[in-house]
Amino acid sequence: MLTIAAPDAAEARCNATFEALMWAMARPGAPQALPETGLAAVIETLVDIECTIFADDAGLRAYAADTGARVTGNPADADHVFLDSLDAPEALLIAIPCGSALYPDDGATVVALAPHGVGHRLRLRGAGIDGVREVTLGVPPAFWALRAQLCCYPEGFDLLLVDGQAVIGIPRSSLVEVL
Amino acid sequence: MSLSTLTKPWAATSYGFLDASAKRELRRKMLKAIAVPGCQMPYASREVPMARGWGTGGLQVTLTLVNPASTIKVIDQGADDGVNAASIRRFISRVSGAAETWDTLDASIVQSRHRVPEETLGDRQILVLQVPNPEPLRGVEPNISIARQMHADADYGKLWLTLYEQIVRKGRIMQGAAYPSMVNGRHVMTPSPIPRWDVPKLNMARHLTFLSAGREKRLFAVPPFTRVEPLVFSDRPYRVEDHADLVCRRSGVSGYFMNELPIDGGGSAFEVSDSNLGIKAIQQAEGGEAAIGPTWYRNGEFSA
Repeated sequence: MLTIAAPDAAEARCNATFEALMWAMARPGAPQALPETGLAAVIETLVDIECTIFADDAGLRAYAADTGARVTGNPADADHVFLDSLDAPEALLIAIPCGSALYPDDGATVVALAPHGVGHRLRLRGAGIDGVREVTLGVPPAFWALRAQLCCYPEGFDLLLVDGQAVIGIPRSSLVEVL
Repeated sequence: MSLSTLTKPWAATSYGFLDASAKRELRRKMLKAIAVPGCQMPYASREVPMARGWGTGGLQVTLTLVNPASTIKVIDQGADDGVNAASIRRFISRVSGAAETWDTLDASIVQSRHRVPEETLGDRQILVLQVPNPEPLRGVEPNISIARQMHADADYGKLWLTLYEQIVRKGRIMQGAAYPSMVNGRHVMTPSPIPRWDVPKLNMARHLTFLSAGREKRLFAVPPFTRVEPLVFSDRPYRVEDHADLVCRRSGVSGYFMNELPIDGGGSAFEVSDSNLGIKAIQQAEGGEAAIGPTWYRNGEFSA
Protein backbone atom coordinates (compact mmCIF):
# COMPACT_ATOMS: atom_id res chain seq x y z
CA MET A 1 0.00 0.00 0.00
CA LEU A 2 1.23 3.43 -0.91
CA THR A 3 1.94 5.63 2.04
CA ILE A 4 1.56 9.34 1.61
CA ALA A 5 4.48 11.49 2.61
CA ALA A 6 3.28 14.43 4.65
CA PRO A 7 4.18 17.81 3.18
CA ASP A 8 7.43 19.13 4.60
CA ALA A 9 7.44 22.43 6.48
CA ALA A 10 8.30 24.50 3.40
CA GLU A 11 5.60 22.86 1.29
CA ALA A 12 2.96 23.37 4.01
CA ARG A 13 4.03 26.99 4.46
CA CYS A 14 3.94 27.73 0.70
CA ASN A 15 0.56 26.03 0.32
CA ALA A 16 -0.96 28.06 3.18
CA THR A 17 0.68 31.28 1.97
CA PHE A 18 -0.64 30.77 -1.54
CA GLU A 19 -4.11 30.04 -0.23
CA ALA A 20 -4.05 33.39 1.59
CA LEU A 21 -2.70 35.23 -1.47
CA MET A 22 -5.25 33.56 -3.76
CA TRP A 23 -8.25 34.46 -1.61
CA ALA A 24 -6.79 37.95 -1.09
CA MET A 25 -6.76 38.43 -4.89
CA ALA A 26 -10.15 36.79 -5.30
CA ARG A 27 -11.79 38.97 -2.60
CA PRO A 28 -10.15 42.39 -2.94
CA GLY A 29 -10.04 44.33 0.31
CA ALA A 30 -10.78 41.37 2.58
CA PRO A 31 -7.84 40.52 4.85
CA GLN A 32 -6.57 36.94 4.74
CA ALA A 33 -4.29 35.27 7.28
CA LEU A 34 -0.74 34.40 6.24
CA PRO A 35 1.04 31.63 8.12
CA GLU A 36 4.03 33.89 8.75
CA THR A 37 4.82 37.56 9.20
CA GLY A 38 6.62 39.45 6.48
CA LEU A 39 7.39 39.22 2.81
CA ALA A 40 9.92 36.36 2.86
CA ALA A 41 7.17 33.71 2.82
CA VAL A 42 5.63 35.38 -0.24
CA ILE A 43 9.00 35.17 -2.00
CA GLU A 44 9.31 31.52 -1.02
CA THR A 45 5.82 30.84 -2.40
CA LEU A 46 6.03 32.65 -5.73
CA VAL A 47 9.60 33.44 -6.73
CA ASP A 48 12.19 31.17 -8.31
CA ILE A 49 14.73 31.04 -11.10
CA GLU A 50 12.15 32.08 -13.70
CA CYS A 51 11.50 35.45 -12.02
CA THR A 52 13.12 38.86 -12.00
CA ILE A 53 12.54 40.74 -8.80
CA PHE A 54 13.00 44.26 -7.50
CA ALA A 55 13.17 44.81 -3.75
CA ASP A 56 14.03 47.97 -1.85
CA ASP A 57 15.07 45.95 1.20
CA ALA A 58 18.60 44.51 1.12
CA GLY A 59 17.63 41.50 3.24
CA LEU A 60 14.82 40.54 0.86
CA ARG A 61 17.15 41.01 -2.12
CA ALA A 62 19.57 38.51 -0.63
CA TYR A 63 16.73 36.11 0.25
CA ALA A 64 15.29 36.34 -3.27
CA ALA A 65 18.72 35.84 -4.83
CA ASP A 66 18.97 32.56 -2.90
CA THR A 67 15.90 31.29 -4.72
CA GLY A 68 17.77 31.73 -8.00
CA ALA A 69 15.73 34.70 -9.12
CA ARG A 70 17.42 37.53 -10.98
CA VAL A 71 17.56 40.59 -8.74
CA THR A 72 17.38 43.86 -10.62
CA GLY A 73 17.90 47.46 -9.60
CA ASN A 74 15.47 48.64 -12.23
CA PRO A 75 11.79 48.03 -11.37
CA ALA A 76 10.92 48.20 -15.09
CA ASP A 77 12.57 44.80 -15.57
CA ALA A 78 10.89 43.11 -12.61
CA ASP A 79 7.90 40.82 -12.63
CA HIS A 80 7.69 40.84 -8.83
CA VAL A 81 8.25 44.07 -6.91
CA PHE A 82 8.72 44.03 -3.12
CA LEU A 83 8.40 47.38 -1.36
CA ASP A 84 8.70 48.42 2.28
CA SER A 85 6.15 51.15 1.68
CA LEU A 86 3.91 52.41 -1.09
CA ASP A 87 5.03 55.90 -0.11
CA ALA A 88 7.79 55.28 -2.64
CA PRO A 89 9.31 57.74 -5.13
CA GLU A 90 6.98 58.35 -8.08
CA ALA A 91 9.73 57.45 -10.57
CA LEU A 92 9.89 53.96 -9.05
CA LEU A 93 6.14 53.41 -9.12
CA ILE A 94 5.81 54.64 -12.70
CA ALA A 95 8.46 52.15 -13.81
CA ILE A 96 6.53 49.10 -12.54
CA PRO A 97 5.54 47.01 -15.60
CA CYS A 98 1.84 47.02 -16.40
CA GLY A 99 1.91 44.50 -19.23
CA SER A 100 0.06 45.19 -22.43
CA ALA A 101 -3.40 44.49 -23.77
CA LEU A 102 -1.79 41.66 -25.74
CA TYR A 103 0.01 40.21 -22.71
CA PRO A 104 -1.77 41.33 -19.52
CA ASP A 105 0.20 38.68 -17.60
CA ASP A 106 3.35 40.78 -18.04
CA GLY A 107 1.95 43.19 -15.44
CA ALA A 108 3.96 42.93 -12.21
CA THR A 109 2.86 41.60 -8.85
CA VAL A 110 3.62 44.29 -6.27
CA VAL A 111 3.98 43.01 -2.71
CA ALA A 112 4.25 45.84 -0.20
CA LEU A 113 4.08 46.43 3.53
CA ALA A 114 1.12 48.69 4.33
CA PRO A 115 -0.67 49.09 7.67
CA HIS A 116 -4.28 47.85 7.64
CA GLY A 117 -7.02 49.67 9.53
CA VAL A 118 -5.27 53.03 9.73
CA GLY A 119 -4.87 55.84 7.23
CA HIS A 120 -7.26 56.51 4.39
CA ARG A 121 -10.63 54.94 3.82
CA LEU A 122 -11.07 53.42 0.37
CA ARG A 123 -14.11 52.14 -1.45
CA LEU A 124 -13.42 49.20 -3.75
CA ARG A 125 -15.55 48.00 -6.62
CA GLY A 126 -15.06 45.34 -9.26
CA ALA A 127 -14.53 41.62 -9.73
CA GLY A 128 -14.53 39.71 -6.47
CA ILE A 129 -16.62 42.27 -4.59
CA ASP A 130 -20.33 41.96 -3.93
CA GLY A 131 -21.29 45.58 -4.61
CA VAL A 132 -18.76 47.72 -2.77
CA ARG A 133 -16.29 47.03 0.02
CA GLU A 134 -14.71 49.66 2.24
CA VAL A 135 -11.24 49.20 3.59
CA THR A 136 -8.82 51.46 5.47
CA LEU A 137 -5.19 51.31 4.41
CA GLY A 138 -2.09 53.27 5.33
CA VAL A 139 -1.31 54.17 1.72
CA PRO A 140 -1.00 57.78 0.55
CA PRO A 141 -3.94 58.91 -1.66
CA ALA A 142 -1.46 60.06 -4.30
CA PHE A 143 -0.59 56.40 -4.88
CA TRP A 144 -4.17 55.57 -5.84
CA ALA A 145 -4.32 58.50 -8.25
CA LEU A 146 -1.09 57.27 -9.85
CA ARG A 147 -2.40 53.69 -10.00
CA ALA A 148 -5.55 54.88 -11.76
CA GLN A 149 -3.36 56.56 -14.37
CA LEU A 150 -1.04 53.60 -14.85
CA CYS A 151 -3.50 50.71 -14.71
CA CYS A 152 -5.73 50.81 -17.74
CA TYR A 153 -7.56 47.46 -17.43
CA PRO A 154 -6.58 44.79 -18.50
CA GLU A 155 -3.15 46.39 -18.19
CA GLY A 156 -1.88 47.09 -14.72
CA PHE A 157 -0.12 45.69 -11.67
CA ASP A 158 -1.62 43.67 -8.85
CA LEU A 159 -1.13 44.66 -5.23
CA LEU A 160 -0.67 42.44 -2.22
CA LEU A 161 -0.52 44.57 0.91
CA VAL A 162 0.94 42.83 3.94
CA ASP A 163 0.55 43.96 7.54
CA GLY A 164 1.91 41.49 10.07
CA GLN A 165 0.21 38.20 9.32
CA ALA A 166 -2.63 39.72 7.28
CA VAL A 167 -2.64 40.31 3.56
CA ILE A 168 -5.07 42.38 1.49
CA GLY A 169 -5.09 42.02 -2.27
CA ILE A 170 -6.06 44.74 -4.71
CA PRO A 171 -5.87 43.33 -8.24
CA ARG A 172 -5.93 45.55 -11.29
CA SER A 173 -9.62 44.75 -11.80
CA SER A 174 -10.56 46.72 -8.65
CA LEU A 175 -11.70 50.31 -8.92
CA VAL A 176 -10.35 52.26 -5.95
CA GLU A 177 -12.06 55.39 -4.72
CA VAL A 178 -10.43 57.39 -1.90
CA LEU A 179 -13.13 58.60 0.53
CA MET B 1 28.21 27.85 1.31
CA SER B 2 28.08 24.12 0.81
CA LEU B 3 26.05 21.85 -1.38
CA SER B 4 23.89 20.79 1.54
CA THR B 5 22.72 24.36 2.14
CA LEU B 6 21.64 24.62 -1.49
CA THR B 7 19.69 21.38 -1.62
CA LYS B 8 16.75 19.91 0.20
CA PRO B 9 16.69 16.65 2.11
CA TRP B 10 16.07 13.66 -0.11
CA ALA B 11 12.45 12.65 -0.60
CA ALA B 12 11.03 9.83 -2.71
CA THR B 13 8.42 12.09 -4.33
CA SER B 14 7.28 15.66 -4.13
CA TYR B 15 4.18 16.20 -2.06
CA GLY B 16 1.20 16.39 -4.38
CA PHE B 17 3.17 14.89 -7.29
CA LEU B 18 4.17 18.24 -8.86
CA ASP B 19 7.60 19.56 -8.00
CA ALA B 20 8.00 22.86 -6.21
CA SER B 21 8.97 24.86 -9.28
CA ALA B 22 5.92 23.63 -11.20
CA LYS B 23 3.72 24.71 -8.31
CA ARG B 24 5.33 28.13 -8.07
CA GLU B 25 4.76 28.74 -11.77
CA LEU B 26 1.12 27.69 -11.48
CA ARG B 27 0.67 29.89 -8.41
CA ARG B 28 2.02 32.93 -10.24
CA LYS B 29 -0.27 32.28 -13.19
CA MET B 30 -3.29 31.57 -10.99
CA LEU B 31 -2.85 34.93 -9.24
CA LYS B 32 -2.66 36.68 -12.62
CA ALA B 33 -5.68 34.74 -13.85
CA ILE B 34 -7.71 35.96 -10.86
CA ALA B 35 -6.49 39.52 -11.36
CA VAL B 36 -7.68 39.56 -15.00
CA PRO B 37 -10.83 37.42 -14.93
CA GLY B 38 -11.49 35.45 -18.09
CA CYS B 39 -8.12 36.26 -19.67
CA GLN B 40 -6.16 33.18 -20.73
CA MET B 41 -2.77 32.96 -19.05
CA PRO B 42 -0.16 30.68 -20.62
CA TYR B 43 1.64 28.19 -18.37
CA ALA B 44 4.13 25.40 -18.88
CA SER B 45 1.75 22.48 -18.21
CA ARG B 46 4.00 19.80 -16.76
CA GLU B 47 3.72 16.11 -17.38
CA VAL B 48 1.30 14.27 -15.13
CA PRO B 49 0.69 10.52 -15.29
CA MET B 50 -2.31 10.92 -17.55
CA ALA B 51 -2.68 11.66 -21.25
CA ARG B 52 -3.17 15.27 -22.30
CA GLY B 53 -6.83 15.94 -22.93
CA TRP B 54 -8.07 13.84 -20.00
CA GLY B 55 -8.06 16.59 -17.42
CA THR B 56 -4.36 17.31 -16.98
CA GLY B 57 -4.98 21.06 -16.74
CA GLY B 58 -7.53 20.71 -13.98
CA LEU B 59 -5.35 18.12 -12.27
CA GLN B 60 -2.34 20.46 -12.14
CA VAL B 61 -4.43 23.25 -10.59
CA THR B 62 -5.91 20.84 -8.04
CA LEU B 63 -2.48 19.40 -7.17
CA THR B 64 -1.19 22.94 -6.57
CA LEU B 65 -4.09 23.78 -4.25
CA VAL B 66 -4.39 20.50 -2.39
CA ASN B 67 -3.19 19.92 1.18
CA PRO B 68 -3.88 17.13 3.69
CA ALA B 69 -6.91 19.05 5.04
CA SER B 70 -8.57 19.30 1.61
CA THR B 71 -11.62 17.30 0.59
CA ILE B 72 -11.74 16.46 -3.08
CA LYS B 73 -14.73 15.80 -5.30
CA VAL B 74 -14.14 14.95 -8.96
CA ILE B 75 -16.98 14.63 -11.44
CA ASP B 76 -17.16 13.71 -15.08
CA GLN B 77 -20.37 14.91 -16.76
CA GLY B 78 -21.92 15.16 -13.31
CA ALA B 79 -21.01 11.64 -12.22
CA ASP B 80 -18.56 10.81 -9.43
CA ASP B 81 -18.18 7.19 -10.46
CA GLY B 82 -17.04 7.61 -14.07
CA VAL B 83 -13.69 5.94 -14.64
CA ASN B 84 -11.94 9.23 -15.45
CA ALA B 85 -13.36 10.99 -12.38
CA ALA B 86 -12.71 8.07 -10.04
CA SER B 87 -9.13 7.68 -11.27
CA ILE B 88 -8.33 11.38 -10.91
CA ARG B 89 -9.88 11.52 -7.45
CA ARG B 90 -7.97 8.45 -6.28
CA PHE B 91 -4.71 9.79 -7.73
CA ILE B 92 -5.10 13.17 -6.00
CA SER B 93 -5.91 11.49 -2.72
CA ARG B 94 -2.97 9.08 -3.05
CA VAL B 95 -0.36 11.76 -3.67
CA SER B 96 -1.72 14.31 -1.17
CA GLY B 97 -3.55 12.47 1.60
CA ALA B 98 -6.61 14.62 0.95
CA ALA B 99 -10.01 13.18 1.77
CA GLU B 100 -12.28 12.00 -1.04
CA THR B 101 -15.98 12.75 -1.20
CA TRP B 102 -18.92 12.51 -3.55
CA ASP B 103 -20.86 15.14 -1.65
CA THR B 104 -20.70 18.66 -3.11
CA LEU B 105 -21.41 20.16 0.32
CA ASP B 106 -18.34 18.50 1.91
CA ALA B 107 -15.86 19.28 -0.85
CA SER B 108 -13.26 22.04 -0.57
CA ILE B 109 -12.11 21.50 -4.16
CA VAL B 110 -14.46 20.29 -6.88
CA GLN B 111 -12.69 19.26 -10.07
CA SER B 112 -15.12 18.81 -12.90
CA ARG B 113 -15.33 17.84 -16.50
CA HIS B 114 -18.25 19.51 -18.29
CA ARG B 115 -20.66 20.16 -15.41
CA VAL B 116 -21.12 22.47 -12.45
CA PRO B 117 -22.80 20.68 -9.51
CA GLU B 118 -26.46 21.53 -8.93
CA GLU B 119 -25.95 22.37 -5.26
CA THR B 120 -24.77 25.93 -4.68
CA LEU B 121 -21.03 26.24 -4.05
CA GLY B 122 -20.06 28.36 -1.07
CA ASP B 123 -17.51 30.98 -0.06
CA ARG B 124 -14.54 28.70 0.59
CA GLN B 125 -15.11 26.24 -2.22
CA ILE B 126 -13.04 26.13 -5.40
CA LEU B 127 -14.35 24.78 -8.67
CA VAL B 128 -11.68 23.54 -11.10
CA LEU B 129 -12.99 22.99 -14.60
CA GLN B 130 -11.08 20.90 -17.14
CA VAL B 131 -11.01 22.73 -20.43
CA PRO B 132 -10.30 21.04 -23.78
CA ASN B 133 -10.23 24.23 -25.86
CA PRO B 134 -9.70 27.47 -23.93
CA GLU B 135 -9.90 29.77 -26.95
CA PRO B 136 -13.46 30.97 -27.69
CA LEU B 137 -12.22 32.49 -30.94
CA ARG B 138 -10.74 29.28 -32.35
CA GLY B 139 -13.80 28.53 -34.44
CA VAL B 140 -13.66 31.90 -36.12
CA GLU B 141 -9.92 32.56 -36.05
CA PRO B 142 -7.54 29.58 -36.19
CA ASN B 143 -4.42 31.76 -35.96
CA ILE B 144 -3.74 32.13 -32.22
CA SER B 145 -1.63 35.26 -32.69
CA ILE B 146 -4.51 37.00 -34.42
CA ALA B 147 -6.92 35.65 -31.80
CA ARG B 148 -4.71 37.17 -29.10
CA GLN B 149 -4.84 40.51 -30.90
CA MET B 150 -8.63 40.22 -31.08
CA HIS B 151 -8.78 39.66 -27.29
CA ALA B 152 -6.52 42.68 -26.81
CA ASP B 153 -8.86 44.77 -28.94
CA ALA B 154 -12.00 43.22 -27.37
CA ASP B 155 -12.90 42.45 -30.97
CA TYR B 156 -15.60 39.82 -30.57
CA GLY B 157 -17.72 40.67 -33.60
CA LYS B 158 -17.08 37.31 -35.25
CA LEU B 159 -18.52 35.47 -32.23
CA TRP B 160 -21.69 37.51 -32.47
CA LEU B 161 -21.75 36.67 -36.16
CA THR B 162 -21.66 32.91 -35.51
CA LEU B 163 -24.56 33.26 -33.08
CA TYR B 164 -26.45 35.36 -35.63
CA GLU B 165 -25.82 32.79 -38.35
CA GLN B 166 -27.19 30.04 -36.11
CA ILE B 167 -30.39 32.05 -35.63
CA VAL B 168 -30.68 32.71 -39.37
CA ARG B 169 -30.07 29.07 -40.32
CA LYS B 170 -31.87 27.24 -37.55
CA GLY B 171 -34.19 29.78 -35.98
CA ARG B 172 -32.47 29.59 -32.61
CA ILE B 173 -28.98 29.61 -31.10
CA MET B 174 -27.60 26.09 -31.49
CA GLN B 175 -24.51 26.52 -29.29
CA GLY B 176 -25.11 23.75 -26.77
CA ALA B 177 -21.95 23.79 -24.69
CA ALA B 178 -18.97 26.11 -24.18
CA TYR B 179 -21.27 29.07 -24.70
CA PRO B 180 -19.08 32.18 -25.18
CA SER B 181 -19.46 34.43 -22.18
CA MET B 182 -18.20 37.92 -21.38
CA VAL B 183 -16.32 37.99 -18.07
CA ASN B 184 -16.09 41.17 -16.02
CA GLY B 185 -17.23 43.14 -19.07
CA ARG B 186 -13.92 42.71 -20.87
CA HIS B 187 -12.74 39.23 -21.92
CA VAL B 188 -14.87 36.63 -23.65
CA MET B 189 -14.12 33.15 -22.36
CA THR B 190 -15.34 29.71 -23.14
CA PRO B 191 -16.71 28.33 -19.88
CA SER B 192 -15.41 24.86 -20.90
CA PRO B 193 -18.03 22.56 -22.41
CA ILE B 194 -20.54 23.00 -19.61
CA PRO B 195 -24.13 23.10 -20.90
CA ARG B 196 -25.97 26.41 -21.19
CA TRP B 197 -27.78 25.31 -18.02
CA ASP B 198 -24.57 25.79 -15.99
CA VAL B 199 -23.29 29.13 -17.30
CA PRO B 200 -25.52 31.28 -15.02
CA LYS B 201 -24.01 29.44 -12.03
CA LEU B 202 -20.69 31.19 -12.68
CA ASN B 203 -22.23 34.68 -12.75
CA MET B 204 -21.81 36.55 -9.43
CA ALA B 205 -21.14 33.22 -7.74
CA ARG B 206 -19.79 32.88 -4.20
CA HIS B 207 -17.09 30.37 -5.14
CA LEU B 208 -13.83 30.74 -7.05
CA THR B 209 -13.56 29.03 -10.43
CA PHE B 210 -10.37 28.02 -12.21
CA LEU B 211 -10.52 26.80 -15.79
CA SER B 212 -7.39 25.06 -16.94
CA ALA B 213 -6.44 23.50 -20.27
CA GLY B 214 -3.42 21.21 -19.90
CA ARG B 215 -3.01 20.30 -23.55
CA GLU B 216 -3.38 23.92 -24.66
CA LYS B 217 -1.27 25.16 -21.72
CA ARG B 218 -3.54 27.99 -20.64
CA LEU B 219 -5.55 28.74 -17.55
CA PHE B 220 -8.10 31.38 -16.64
CA ALA B 221 -10.28 32.13 -13.68
CA VAL B 222 -13.59 33.56 -12.58
CA PRO B 223 -13.31 35.07 -9.07
CA PRO B 224 -16.35 35.24 -6.78
CA PHE B 225 -18.86 38.00 -7.51
CA THR B 226 -17.72 38.48 -11.09
CA ARG B 227 -20.08 39.09 -13.97
CA VAL B 228 -20.24 36.23 -16.47
CA GLU B 229 -22.64 37.22 -19.22
CA PRO B 230 -23.40 34.87 -22.10
CA LEU B 231 -23.29 36.69 -25.44
CA VAL B 232 -26.92 37.27 -26.46
CA PHE B 233 -28.86 39.63 -28.64
CA SER B 234 -31.16 42.00 -26.75
CA ASP B 235 -34.22 40.62 -28.58
CA ARG B 236 -33.15 36.97 -28.17
CA PRO B 237 -32.83 36.22 -24.47
CA TYR B 238 -30.41 33.58 -23.21
CA ARG B 239 -32.18 30.24 -22.89
CA VAL B 240 -31.03 27.24 -20.92
CA GLU B 241 -31.95 23.70 -21.93
CA ASP B 242 -35.62 22.78 -21.57
CA HIS B 243 -35.07 20.41 -18.69
CA ALA B 244 -37.29 22.05 -16.09
CA ASP B 245 -40.14 19.57 -16.54
CA LEU B 246 -38.08 16.39 -16.95
CA VAL B 247 -38.22 13.81 -14.17
CA CYS B 248 -35.35 11.50 -13.26
CA ARG B 249 -36.47 7.90 -13.69
CA ARG B 250 -34.36 6.61 -10.82
CA SER B 251 -34.53 9.28 -8.14
CA GLY B 252 -37.74 11.06 -9.11
CA VAL B 253 -36.18 14.53 -8.83
CA SER B 254 -37.14 17.12 -11.39
CA GLY B 255 -36.05 20.60 -12.35
CA TYR B 256 -32.37 19.76 -12.83
CA PHE B 257 -30.13 19.04 -15.80
CA MET B 258 -30.86 15.55 -17.10
CA ASN B 259 -29.01 12.93 -19.13
CA GLU B 260 -31.14 11.67 -21.98
CA LEU B 261 -31.06 7.89 -22.42
CA PRO B 262 -32.54 6.34 -25.56
CA ILE B 263 -34.92 3.50 -24.78
CA ASP B 264 -36.00 0.48 -26.79
CA GLY B 265 -38.71 1.24 -29.31
CA GLY B 266 -37.84 4.94 -29.53
CA GLY B 267 -38.32 7.77 -27.08
CA SER B 268 -36.06 8.64 -24.16
CA ALA B 269 -35.74 8.22 -20.46
CA PHE B 270 -34.03 10.77 -18.26
CA GLU B 271 -31.64 10.55 -15.34
CA VAL B 272 -30.39 13.46 -13.28
CA SER B 273 -26.91 14.40 -14.52
CA ASP B 274 -25.55 15.39 -11.08
CA SER B 275 -25.45 11.78 -9.94
CA ASN B 276 -24.77 12.45 -6.27
CA LEU B 277 -27.83 14.70 -6.09
CA GLY B 278 -29.84 11.75 -7.38
CA ILE B 279 -28.21 9.42 -4.84
CA LYS B 280 -29.04 11.78 -2.01
CA ALA B 281 -32.63 12.11 -3.22
CA ILE B 282 -32.97 8.31 -3.26
CA GLN B 283 -31.46 8.06 0.23
CA GLN B 284 -33.90 10.69 1.48
CA ALA B 285 -36.82 8.86 -0.12
CA GLU B 286 -35.70 5.70 1.68
CA GLY B 287 -35.65 7.53 4.99
CA GLY B 288 -31.90 8.22 5.09
CA GLU B 289 -30.17 11.24 6.53
CA ALA B 290 -28.71 12.62 3.30
CA ALA B 291 -28.84 16.42 3.30
CA ILE B 292 -29.41 18.17 0.00
CA GLY B 293 -28.05 21.70 0.11
CA PRO B 294 -29.60 24.74 -1.55
CA THR B 295 -29.50 24.46 -5.31
CA TRP B 296 -28.96 27.06 -8.00
CA TYR B 297 -32.12 25.96 -9.80
CA ARG B 298 -35.37 25.72 -7.87
CA ASN B 299 -38.35 24.14 -9.60
CA GLY B 300 -36.42 24.34 -12.83
CA GLU B 301 -35.89 28.11 -12.58
CA PHE B 302 -32.50 29.69 -11.97
CA SER B 303 -32.79 31.58 -8.69
CA ALA B 304 -29.45 32.28 -7.06
